[in-house]
Amino acid sequence: MAGLELLSDQGFRIDGRRPHELRKIQCRLGVFNQADGSAYIEQGNTKVLAAVYGPHEIRGSRSKVLHDKVLVNCQYSMATFSTGERKRRPRGDRKSQEMTMHLQQTFDAAIQTSLYPRSQIDIFVEVLQSDGGNYCASVNASTLALIDAGIALRDYVCACSSSFVNDTPLTDINYLEESSGSPEIIAATLPKSEQIVFLEMNGRLHEDNLSRVTDMAVKGCKDIHDILDQVVRDHVSEVSTVHGWEN
Amino acid sequence: MVDVQLSDAEKVFILHGVQDNCREDGRGCEDYRHLEIETSVMSNTNGSARVRLANTDILVGVKAELGTPSPEKLNKGRIEFFVDCSANATPEFEGRGGEDLATDISNMLYRAYDCPNCFDLQQLCVIPDQQCWILYVDILLLECGGNLFDATSLAVKAALFNTSIPTVTVTKDEGVVDLEISDDPYDVQRLDMKSSPCIVTLSKVGHSHVVDASQKEECCTLARLIMGVTEKGTITALKKEGSGSLDPTSIEDMMETGRRVGESLNKCLMDALAEEERQGTKKKSLGFLR
Amino acid sequence: MIITHLNLGILLTRIWRSMVDVRIAGARSSTKPNVSAEISNLVTPGDVITADTGFMRGHGTYMEDEKLYASVAGVVERVNKLICVKPLKTRYNGEIGDVVIGRILEVGTRRWKVDTHAKLDSVLMLSSVNLPGGELRRRSEEDEKMMRHYLKEGDLISAEVQSLFSDGALSLHTRSLKYGKLSQGQLVSISPSLIKRRKTHFHNLPCGASIILGNNGYVWICPTINEEVEQTGGYEQNLEPIQKSDREVIARLRNCVLALAEHKMMLYDTSVLYTFEASLRYSVKETVKPEVMADIIEVAQQRLEREGT
Repeated sequence: MAGLELLSDQGFRIDGRRPHELRKIQCRLGVFNQADGSAYIEQGNTKVLAAVYGPHEIRGSRSKVLHDKVLVNCQYSMATFSTGERKRRPRGDRKSQEMTMHLQQTFDAAIQTSLYPRSQIDIFVEVLQSDGGNYCASVNASTLALIDAGIALRDYVCACSSSFVNDTPLTDINYLEESSGSPEIIAATLPKSEQIVFLEMNGRLHEDNLSRVTDMAVKGCKDIHDILDQVVRDHVSEVSTVHGWEN
Repeated sequence: MVDVQLSDAEKVFILHGVQDNCREDGRGCEDYRHLEIETSVMSNTNGSARVRLANTDILVGVKAELGTPSPEKLNKGRIEFFVDCSANATPEFEGRGGEDLATDISNMLYRAYDCPNCFDLQQLCVIPDQQCWILYVDILLLECGGNLFDATSLAVKAALFNTSIPTVTVTKDEGVVDLEISDDPYDVQRLDMKSSPCIVTLSKVGHSHVVDASQKEECCTLARLIMGVTEKGTITALKKEGSGSLDPTSIEDMMETGRRVGESLNKCLMDALAEEERQGTKKKSLGFLR
Repeated sequence: MIITHLNLGILLTRIWRSMVDVRIAGARSSTKPNVSAEISNLVTPGDVITADTGFMRGHGTYMEDEKLYASVAGVVERVNKLICVKPLKTRYNGEIGDVVIGRILEVGTRRWKVDTHAKLDSVLMLSSVNLPGGELRRRSEEDEKMMRHYLKEGDLISAEVQSLFSDGALSLHTRSLKYGKLSQGQLVSISPSLIKRRKTHFHNLPCGASIILGNNGYVWICPTINEEVEQTGGYEQNLEPIQKSDREVIARLRNCVLALAEHKMMLYDTSVLYTFEASLRYSVKETVKPEVMADIIEVAQQRLEREGT
């Protein structure tokens, strides 16, 4: 992308952020009543809704029943108006199928699956507006929805992307930075135990820089965790005060 | 359809309730549930709206794209409706589970808007025979609480009201036509929406009919009449649905109710939209953050 | 003639306008209260609760590297050596002796599958129900054939949790005359954690209706049950129309239950009754509007704080 400076000499990115700065995150738990858990997150201009159903009895084919753990079922879908150019269909294309699989693996690692034998948990993600970092926002929204549904997790799962421009790692990249052709690393971690549950790299990156860029993504996950954790704490405090549960 | 299962006794309870004009939440037969509306919720669309009718939640985004007019309507633009039933609403919609319902709803919208007097497609024409605007109206169903048709049509009307299309300047230079699309966000055209329709669904429960049926009531409905009604009371589309049959006289009754309800529904919607516009940029966009 | 018509038209729109109430979302008063101070003992998934090995691991916690971690977000509860974390909402976690409302999903061989909003479908064995007539007798082959006649798909029952299977599924029984098939009324589904555990969950409210607050978050509201006459296990159903006044009471109760749930208030006989009484200032229809709901709840809450138990 000629003419577009991803990082200015003064150290600012296209949207005015510093290299290590996240986009503004706003989120809410319990958006809908019918789902067992739901959440909405805005990371900059990327907006994602997640709904969790379950754990419930497996519907449909009996052959899917796992006798020692829960079946985690995901679906990643994008609203047709979510992208700059209108999408022709919301799901079923190669990219969203890949996303679906990634989500499934990520949450299989985080949910305490052995607690819910023979049942099923559905995680449905709907991207309403896409401006880069769709996978990351989907993971973060799903984590909040799972917490809202009271499903046992080993830890939060937080995801963040990073890139490498002018010998500087950038965190939480937006659509322009994503499509500029510079390398991209996406990581999902369990922030408290610092375990990486998902890692993906696109583009070309020199081996020597790999750990710096990965560290940037992992650091981003930690920062996101702090923000999400605060939202969850506020939510629980607010609701339990009304409940009168503490006494 | 998204069905809930009810016992026979529950159905009887609902049936008698409708007869008594006292429904499950105390509503009369011609009352709508609580309805909330917000426009300009998605910034990367030309227009958008979210409607929440009790538990039914609908998000609509409109995108305008330049294209060639269809051969039989050379001086007109087009509206394309696309409905997506998100699995967020119910796990039944996963994969292709919601497609039948989605086609039903979009077909009804096509029918309601396919009426020369209710939405002037000529306002979408850029260069006759060559270029026109195509409005892609994309509807996302996020939660189902009954009466999806009405809620969808309200959201569509609100989103179209909210839509602004960039002004196009056409210059002709020695036979070469040049299109210049303004990128000034204030140099835009709004659509003339005054006479576009809303859908009113009348569900026959027992011997009476109700508007805005909840999911439980839909479960007791054998036949329903879905109609597009404009603010002036013109009926632009009509469709009978369901396995039960209807008496011609009761269809007349239902149409009369539908027309009346549709008129006031359109009016209330436009009043609310005008009110929201008056508040202008002062209000903060809430979206899904409450 | 034309003029009269026109007038009529205006009149009609005016009358009918009240029935459609379109609001703009921006007009809703921000319901977010001033940020409440964080309550103590609050944990979120992955938090260490204690590194002390002398404690026992309860629900919502897990043990790793000799430390006890939280797996859900909620308040830590400690009973002697047992540590639990209770999340704000979950699927129903059944306990033996709980009163539940369930819907029949499937009729199987000698058993019904029942939806109780638990993690797995619950089971009602043919041997765990009172058969028509009420007397205890052996279940014959005849009874097996008649199962769909007793309870069929979609039917609602009230029941008690009898035992838990090893995978956590619940086994129910209706072997008491107060349990059994439910007749006319309304089911409302709310979060199970909002139902306060009480000695009894069946209430004949003085406002003229009965309510069953199922531990599983299913609430059943119906016309007052006459205890002597009607406790037949529900096999004989009264499908006669209900009086309009009773119907209004039921509709109002339903709206009150939903208002309590919307405002995350605990449900028990007193809270439901106080809310009902606070709502009497409004017509039934009005009680579904958010601002009216908030007002009713506030009045009821104040009264509960003053005199409630």
